[in-house]
Amino acid sequence: MSGEAFLRRIAVPLTLLILVFAANASAASPKPEIVGISGKIHGHEARVLFTLHNGFTPEMVEALKSGIEISFKTVVRVERVHRRWFDFPMGELEFSRTVRYDALSRVYRLNRGGREELLPDVHAALAGMTQYEIVVPLTLDAEPGKTYRAHVRSRLDKVGLSEPLQSILFFSSLWDVETEWARGYLTAP
Amino acid sequence: MGEGVLDRAMNPAVNKPVEPIQEKERSKRHRERLAIGIVAILIAGLTFFEAKLATLGGSVAITSNIIIFALININVVLIVLLIFLVTRNIFKIILDRKRNILGAKIRSRLVLIFIGFSLVPTILLFVAAANITTTSIKSWIGGRVGVALTGALDLARGKLEGEARLLSGLVEDAARRIPPAASVEETREALGDVRHGHSPETSLFLAGPAGVVTASGEVPSGIAAEILSRLKGMKFVEQPGSSTTLVGDIFASAVRRIPDGRLVVAVRTLPPEESRMIREIAKAYDEYHQVRLLDDPIRASYIAVLILITLLIVFGASWMGIYLARQITVPVQLLAEGTEKVAGGDLDVRLDYSSSDEFGHLVSSFNRMTADLKEMKRDLEETNLSLSTTYEELRRRTQFIEAILTNISTGVIVIDRHSRIAMINKVAERMLEIKTEKVLGKPYKEVIREEHFEAIRALSREVGEAAGKQVERQVDLEAGGKKISLRVSVTALRDDSGGYMGLVVAFDDLSQAMRLQKVLAWREVARRIAHEIRNPLTPIQLSTERMLKKYAAVHEGDPAFAECTQTILSEVGTLKHLVEEFTRFARMPAPVYKEGDLTEELRTVVETYRTAHPGIAWELEGEDGAAWFDPFQIRRAVTNLLENAAAVLDGKGTVKVGWVRQKELGLVRISVADDGPGIPMADRDHLFEPYFSRKEGGTGLGLAIVSAIASDHGGTVRVRDNVPHGAVFEIEFPVRSRG
Repeated sequence: MSGEAFLRRIAVPLTLLILVFAANASAASPKPEIVGISGKIHGHEARVLFTLHNGFTPEMVEALKSGIEISFKTVVRVERVHRRWFDFPMGELEFSRTVRYDALSRVYRLNRGGREELLPDVHAALAGMTQYEIVVPLTLDAEPGKTYRAHVRSRLDKVGLSEPLQSILFFSSLWDVETEWARGYLTAP
Repeated sequence: MGEGVLDRAMNPAVNKPVEPIQEKERSKRHRERLAIGIVAILIAGLTFFEAKLATLGGSVAITSNIIIFALININVVLIVLLIFLVTRNIFKIILDRKRNILGAKIRSRLVLIFIGFSLVPTILLFVAAANITTTSIKSWIGGRVGVALTGALDLARGKLEGEARLLSGLVEDAARRIPPAASVEETREALGDVRHGHSPETSLFLAGPAGVVTASGEVPSGIAAEILSRLKGMKFVEQPGSSTTLVGDIFASAVRRIPDGRLVVAVRTLPPEESRMIREIAKAYDEYHQVRLLDDPIRASYIAVLILITLLIVFGASWMGIYLARQITVPVQLLAEGTEKVAGGDLDVRLDYSSSDEFGHLVSSFNRMTADLKEMKRDLEETNLSLSTTYEELRRRTQFIEAILTNISTGVIVIDRHSRIAMINKVAERMLEIKTEKVLGKPYKEVIREEHFEAIRALSREVGEAAGKQVERQVDLEAGGKKISLRVSVTALRDDSGGYMGLVVAFDDLSQAMRLQKVLAWREVARRIAHEIRNPLTPIQLSTERMLKKYAAVHEGDPAFAECTQTILSEVGTLKHLVEEFTRFARMPAPVYKEGDLTEELRTVVETYRTAHPGIAWELEGEDGAAWFDPFQIRRAVTNLLENAAAVLDGKGTVKVGWVRQKELGLVRISVADDGPGIPMADRDHLFEPYFSRKEGGTGLGLAIVSAIASDHGGTVRVRDNVPHGAVFEIEFPVRSRG
């Protein structure tokens, strides 16, 4: 049997196998998402609240407990919604949050951007990594009574392995966490 | 050995003008080899770069870094490409082997050996390395390392917590000793009292919202601000009582809020060695737990790297095998193809291959050999052409000589110096009644009858070996049952240097000439006899008639008288008739040639005899067309022959009359064949002589006249046996174009 015939023969079973594995893999892990987007907009800033849901898989939690630094990068966009016209972008903010377990001090070190917080347990650390209250600076003054909307997207930015492991697992992607864009309306009192 | 080697794998550089397909294949091969080289270099370079990137990029995001992904993907693509190219080459070798292409078998064998030699140790190494890696990881994460690291971490924690407790006691003591609304001096004294007796690395200070108010001991630069900054965000700061914390990894601290809202802070800087050890323990603990957590991905990563290396080695070795096999087989294949072409007669073959090794030398020798062969072939062809020209000239001359020898009336036999018959012409064949193919190359004494041999030997003896000497004799021989007279001349042949080459024996048949001579003689005799006899015949006849008239009455009753006179008259009549015949024979006029239809002339004569002898079957067969002859004489000759035929058949039998024109001999041949008793061999020599007759009452002049007419026409007459019995008379005379 020639090589071409062999490939032709195994092509269909191989494709089916890959599809089955892909389906299983996608069904196994719940999809990460941004939920509960709300907030207020006033003057030159918008205060946006939201929650990252399913952002941490059990493996990631275990990795966090093992001292692996986990960082999420989040983008928040605020825009004014026009009914019969294009929506107008008002402001955008991209920021990171990083959490790491300090085994020596037995605390979780959460960095929200500039100031490190020491948190006593993993629940507090996860809450700090998944619940957000962000102030987005705007390019224009918000007009009361108008409609504003926030778009939020978050993704796993980096996994801080120890140096030897970085070399070993250089070609491996441990986890791939990324949400779709989520939308929520802001109140403009 | 350049890419040209790979190009010529399928054939090809057995030069001649390179065909377009071969050129295409060559270019394809070149590109392929270039691609393999570039791929290998890129794989090595990218792997090195990625490895460097891995060590540098501690903070590089794994899942989202486009550059890394691109590099990884390119690497994978390149490896796949390398695998494809090598696999393609292997398939090509298999196909070549199936197609029985020259050199494919040895090439596939060499490649197989190379792959085998690389595959077995590489796979063994891979299995061993994978096993060792897995075992090592398992033993590391499942052994006492974890316990030891946990213990070490606990010890470090204990150390730090002990320090924290100590500092906590210090700030408690200091808070109690600082009186409310104490001055700065009082506060510093209180802090000094508390710090007294502790290590120099320990310091106490009072901090307000604006920063450090006063301190006992040296406060490390920046620490106060750092602690205050951190404390602002800590919830437990809001709670009453004291708290401990660590700032960085180099010191411990304790904080106590006093009633006026300010903070009492105790700080202790750890010795650098202690700090480093604690840091290392914490780091090792983290790594241990990470390895334990990522056990499977780590093992998978190691195995993936091992597989990658194994594949690279295997395919690299395969490629090297293919390359080396081609280095060996390409010249061999070229030589084989070249040899095949040379064997097929193509001497323009030049092998386009150069190398400094033995194969290069071999190919160079092959090219030199074919060039020499070509030159030799050209020389041979030129020589052959020259020989052909010479041969053609010789053949032409030989043909010319053969034509001469064939057409001359002289019989010629050439005898070489070994007394073998080297040549014999047709006339000699006919005269001596021998076949050339049976005698050529044989000693003449074996093939020539004894009397002929004796005659020739006697003449040759007389000639001896004297150059240019010729001996001529008349010899009477018997050939084909008849006697012939030959004039034989023998000449010795000499080459340019005078060497004896043999003898040329030439002989002419004198029989015809002698016969003509006889006829002429007989004609003269006949004329004289006629003249001498005719003169007295008339007086005899007249006298006898007169006697008969005068004395008839006297001798009436005497029968003797009447009988005698009648006898005299009768014999005189016979003699007169004889004289008339003699006269006719003696005075035969010269032929008067006319162009006429010979068949019609023959028909006229045949029809006369058909009427006269109805019991005989008279058949006539003649060619169409005219011929030049004397109609009167030919009719007379044929009449004589038919008369003889009718006489021997005695009213019953078949007579066939016909004529043919023999263009190759330039003769007209008239034949008269009967199925009678035939002519006895003994009579044939005298058959055409005058006065020879076996017929009762014959004058013996009929066939002599026929012979005379044939001779007058420049031809001859002969007789031969008819099959199965009877005789055939043939008159032959040359074809004429005009009278």
